[in-house]
Amino acid sequence: MRLPIGINEQSAEPLYYQIEVQLRALIISGTLQAGTMLPSIRELASQLKCSVITIKRVYSDLEAEGLLRTKQGTGTYVSQVEKESREEQKYSVVNEAIEQLIEAAQRVQCTRQQLEELLQQRLKSYES
Amino acid sequence: MGEHAITLQDVKLTRDHFTLGPISLSIPKGYVTAIVGPNGSGKSTLFRMTMNILKPHQGKVNVLDQQLNEQNDDELKQLIGHLPEEATTFDDFLKGFNKAQFHAKWYNNWNNDTYQRLLSSLTTRDDLQLKKMSKGMRRKFDLSIAMAHHPKLLLLDEPSSGLDPIAWKTMIEVLHQYMESEEHTILMATHIVDEVKRLADYIVFLVDGQVLGMYEKDELLQSWSMYFIEVPEGSTFDARHMPGYCEHKVVSSGFYEIICSNSFEAERWFDGQDLTVRSKQILELDEILFQHMKKARQYAK
Repeated sequence: MRLPIGINEQSAEPLYYQIEVQLRALIISGTLQAGTMLPSIRELASQLKCSVITIKRVYSDLEAEGLLRTKQGTGTYVSQVEKESREEQKYSVVNEAIEQLIEAAQRVQCTRQQLEELLQQRLKSYES
Repeated sequence: MGEHAITLQDVKLTRDHFTLGPISLSIPKGYVTAIVGPNGSGKSTLFRMTMNILKPHQGKVNVLDQQLNEQNDDELKQLIGHLPEEATTFDDFLKGFNKAQFHAKWYNNWNNDTYQRLLSSLTTRDDLQLKKMSKGMRRKFDLSIAMAHHPKLLLLDEPSSGLDPIAWKTMIEVLHQYMESEEHTILMATHIVDEVKRLADYIVFLVDGQVLGMYEKDELLQSWSMYFIEVPEGSTFDARHMPGYCEHKVVSSGFYEIICSNSFEAERWFDGQDLTVRSKQILELDEILFQHMKKARQYAK
């Protein structure tokens, strides 16, 4: 199985973090359903052209969050994500993105009013 | 890092024209470690020492939890697959399958099915005399032979020399499959940047017989960047204060090109400075090696 995960080499964000965010989103959105077996550590590492150390870290972090579980000797599977925690996780993903948006706005010294305008414009096309 | 497949402890070997070491180095079990360095830096010597062909003048070499000596030589070689840099020539007159038969006699774990499968997935053959084989065909045959006894440790010295791009891809796949078992370890020497990118988990820089560093690959490749920076007129900007600063060039007044070994910290530092980052370029492995060599030579002076 190939996971739709993309890596931005230019970003200074650690690789494990980039992969973690995307894999978490795939699970929470339900794209990867509970019970799905994920590629082996070595396989995913070779697909994404990164090292197994990175993938090990991703799998064990998501396991600690309860999103994955590993059965000894068989593989790593997607866990059942409860509906409430799915909602919670969903907002945390969006909140994190908003955090980044604000950082980006500050970096280019965008005023509050300008930011509001931009968001309003963008929201018009949301859900239509 | 958990267990180690190979441990070198304060190992030194001196020859007329070359000194290797003193080196202390641990190769983790279950991972692929790539040794990267220019020609003549001691890569093949290191391999021969691991194979107990060369003995160090000083220090200890441990392979698969045993210290090398005369008694365990046979026993240990059963567990190692070795692909030397150059194909042997003394057995040139043999046909491929004759050589395979010879190996089958020596290795208790020799598995003929594995051998046949390797030949076919690497698309090579063994019904020719070794000297009649093309370079690529011979390389793939040698790799099949090195892996057919299910070794726990694979030593690959420039594994892809002579392979075309398609054969190269298959070789990478074969090695990935081999590494599916966490009991397996690969130590390889290579010049090829792409090979390191596709295969390695750890990178060791070996230059002039000295280890200049051992790194997790992803972390290393993400840490090194070159930034092109614009600074407003009259600024007191000093590139040397930047985290991970290595070197800089003033391209024209107010424009700097800076090489840095800690992109993450550097980019946070930029935020508090009065400057504009015009572009960022990731350094390739060979450039990172070059930076290491430059630094080592500065220290030597």
